[in-house]
Amino acid sequence: MHLDEERIQRVLHGELPSALERAARAHLAGCVECRRSLAEAEREEREVNSLLAMIDEPVPPVRAEAVALRAELMAAASRTERSAWLRRAAAFVLVAGIAGAAYAIPGSPLREWVHSITEKMAGRPERNAVSQPVTTGVSGISVDAGPRLVILFTGDGLDGQVRVTLSDGSQVQIQAPAGAATFTSSSEYLLIGVKNPAANFDVRVPRSAPWVEIRAGDNRLFLKEGQRISTSGSSSAGDYVLRLTTGITPQKP
Amino acid sequence: MFLPVETGLRPERAPSFHDQFVVLFGAHFHRLYRYMSRVSGDPDLAADVAQDAFAKLYGRGSLPDAPEAWLITVALNLFRNAASTRTRRLRLLTPARGEAVLADPPTSPDAALEAEDTRRRVRQALDKMPERGRNMLLLRGEGYSYRDIAQALDVNETSVGVLLARARRAFREIYGESTDAP
Repeated sequence: MHLDEERIQRVLHGELPSALERAARAHLAGCVECRRSLAEAEREEREVNSLLAMIDEPVPPVRAEAVALRAELMAAASRTERSAWLRRAAAFVLVAGIAGAAYAIPGSPLREWVHSITEKMAGRPERNAVSQPVTTGVSGISVDAGPRLVILFTGDGLDGQVRVTLSDGSQVQIQAPAGAATFTSSSEYLLIGVKNPAANFDVRVPRSAPWVEIRAGDNRLFLKEGQRISTSGSSSAGDYVLRLTTGITPQKP
Repeated sequence: MFLPVETGLRPERAPSFHDQFVVLFGAHFHRLYRYMSRVSGDPDLAADVAQDAFAKLYGRGSLPDAPEAWLITVALNLFRNAASTRTRRLRLLTPARGEAVLADPPTSPDAALEAEDTRRRVRQALDKMPERGRNMLLLRGEGYSYRDIAQALDVNETSVGVLLARARRAFREIYGESTDAP
């Protein structure tokens, strides 16, 4: 009596209780046909697994603490009238999580940012806005590109454009019409709260910056990885023009 | 799984739910992500779904009896909802996804083409498989136990091996047909 297919598979995957495993191994030791079946199953599985591995992508560096924080924000969103704002905050935490920010790390900017959410919920004035007038009629911010920087545009009904220019400087610079946006930054992210949905932004990214990503909500618009640039926008004379859209189309009723 | 790491005579503090969650996340996020990425063919969506599943687990406040099977079930439900209701977002164009990239060409164009063709055929073969067989194949590919697979996909645990063997044969057959096609 040979091992049936279920048993062959279970031997292959170590899914037999030890007594049955021993019995199956004893049978295999004396049965050429079953050994051949097992070897064939092993070969097929190796072949299939190597094919499946071809379509794998790197696992994003997400931290448990960022996901836990996101869960807490989502739970808070369901309990408060300010749910839309908090859902956006939760979505941002997701991005921050991908960027490697960790709530649990002492001194983490994420931790500080969450505290600002708490203050906002408590009705206190928002802090951390570091928007600076650059010249009359224009506001902007300059931040160190660092090893990794996520620039995240948030806001309702985004409809403007972002012109990205590569520069020889060392800082990422962003300019917008005065009053069009608020800017909040940390070492790893720059949050731009768009107040005027039609506003256009100029972003200067140092050629030497190792990793700069521009997102609108959860829609990735631009990525500079070393000298490689990927974008969903258009390229013209060394500039990149990105349409500010969160990529979420209103659903038909 | 959640054994205390300290040793000594004092009684150990029971791990908090947060501690358990962090351990579970560290041990299983990567394979849930990879599984969902293979199922969906969309790494960004897979990342969202895998994180949402863990966020739901955290929101639950306690671990279910079979956390891994629970996560798979939740992730599959989230994926089905997303696939049926969500407008596909514009994606970043990356070389791994075979889309246009403003970058240096690959060092070996022939090798890149061949790899891309293999990826396309693997993707097509998975898409053509019956849903249950595809899920079984991909879950086992990530090393999930027969018990987790049976619970997550609501199949009889005693026949998981046979169903897996059939799924593997189906995949190889469909993939082989695409290889033989002119």
